[in-house]
Amino acid sequence: MRTREVSLASLIVRGLGWLGLGLLALAVLLSDFLAHAPAGAAIAGAELSPPSQAHPFGTDIIGRDVFSETLHGLAATGVKAVAAAAIAIVLGGLFGAVAARLPRPLALLVRGFWGVLAAVPPLLLAILLIGLFGGGFAIVAAGLATAPLGFVRSFDAVDVRSRHAEYAHATGIPGMILLKRDLTYDFHNVFGSVVARALAAATIVISTASFLGFGAPTRDLGLMIAASKISFFSAWWTAAFPALALILLILCARLAAGLDEGERA
Amino acid sequence: MQRFVIRQLIRLAAGLLGAVLIAAAIAASGEPAARDLPGFLTAFLNHLIQFGRLNLGISLVSGTPVAQELARYLPQTLALVAMGAGVALVAGVPFGLLLALGPTRRIAAPLIQIITATPVFVSGLALAFVAVHVLHWPVSVNAPVATPYQSWQIAALPILTVGLAGAAAVQLVLRRSAALSSEAPFRTGLKRMGLGLIEIETFYVLPHVAAGLAAGAREIVLALVSATVVAEWVFHSAGAADLFVKSVALADWNMAAILLFVFAAITFVVDFLGQTIAHALAPGGRP
Repeated sequence: MRTREVSLASLIVRGLGWLGLGLLALAVLLSDFLAHAPAGAAIAGAELSPPSQAHPFGTDIIGRDVFSETLHGLAATGVKAVAAAAIAIVLGGLFGAVAARLPRPLALLVRGFWGVLAAVPPLLLAILLIGLFGGGFAIVAAGLATAPLGFVRSFDAVDVRSRHAEYAHATGIPGMILLKRDLTYDFHNVFGSVVARALAAATIVISTASFLGFGAPTRDLGLMIAASKISFFSAWWTAAFPALALILLILCARLAAGLDEGERA
Repeated sequence: MQRFVIRQLIRLAAGLLGAVLIAAAIAASGEPAARDLPGFLTAFLNHLIQFGRLNLGISLVSGTPVAQELARYLPQTLALVAMGAGVALVAGVPFGLLLALGPTRRIAAPLIQIITATPVFVSGLALAFVAVHVLHWPVSVNAPVATPYQSWQIAALPILTVGLAGAAAVQLVLRRSAALSSEAPFRTGLKRMGLGLIEIETFYVLPHVAAGLAAGAREIVLALVSATVVAEWVFHSAGAADLFVKSVALADWNMAAILLFVFAAITFVVDFLGQTIAHALAPGGRP
């Protein structure tokens, strides 16, 4: 009975997370309609105005409407994070599944390589990759930096020694069909959780890299918060609203993934 | 125990070797000759040989030896990580034990989820805002420092930022460990043997929980190092983590490669120590 209650609570929390992500996705899709001004449009004479009816989130140091900018920034962050999460899942998962099918010593070697990458915080890895390949590579870099997550899960799930793999071997299904079957079998139950987890991780990496000046050229929430560093001590709204939007996005992804309180995405 | 330590030492050596190979590859990628594969491989081997001779190269930005730069900036970062770890343990251990109890966890869960969803740079800026407007503290090393108390205030904010990020990891590791220990089958057996609750908790459960915490040291140190990068950047603290960000931005690959190796080495060494301590505390298998 207790297990049933816990799983029901967990389902409700996850449902709330997905609902939140859905609403945020809707806001992103409608950002051009909901925003009061196009991205980057400044209003002369309205610099650093506090929140008011005309500007619910106030204006920034060059007179841009923070509400509109937050919506555009959320759209930019969301799109980048979804793309990075997809890269993390596909590349990490595929490498993991393939590595698990390699001869044992080779598989352990590949796993060791990913283990070394996992010994470096994903943020540093993303910064390094962006530095090596340029700002246009930011999404791929964030995806690759969070890929060890997908790799390890996939490797463990499709390990040659697992009971499921033994069964599949016994049925005599070879090669790519076996791999496809493994992926379908393993990701069927955990796909939603993996997607949401990768989204949370990618959002944190992408926004932090942007904050540190390693983002793609588009103005996302991390870059907005970085730009507000010079004004937010006197005009709190320039950083607070973009930060709240960012926290909301990560929180919804975390809840949808069913992560424990305190657990790193 | 001996076999376990040897196995862990082999893991540590393999990890460090992997980190050296990756560092050599990064350093080689910055060489002008590394534009094609043969050029890259030559540069890669050259860097490996130099690393073997403990020659870490020259920083392309400052023109000084990388080892010298490392000696200059690394102590500050290590001190920040260590003090952050102290704060993380002081805040995270009681919090984790408190949350291991069901009702408290249910009440605090929404708040912890929000805190965990907050990126470190947002937490750092929020702390800075509170420090300026509520506590009236100076927040940056660029601010004029008149008294030792003010310099302590300036140092406190990055430590708090790193510590809070670490505390989230500590409480999670501890909570998981406590949850597993509470369901361990040995509890029932010990009760049947006539041992009291306090005896069971003190002599059997506590070592298991502590072992779980030690085994999760890798997760905690990753959170601390990641937070250190952001804290040094936000609070203009000139340490090795800040130097890494600047080195990558300025394409100083010799410097960036060695710093990346150092951060990976810290994780591997802490993981080795954590696993060994965990094994010593609970040799029969930890939670």
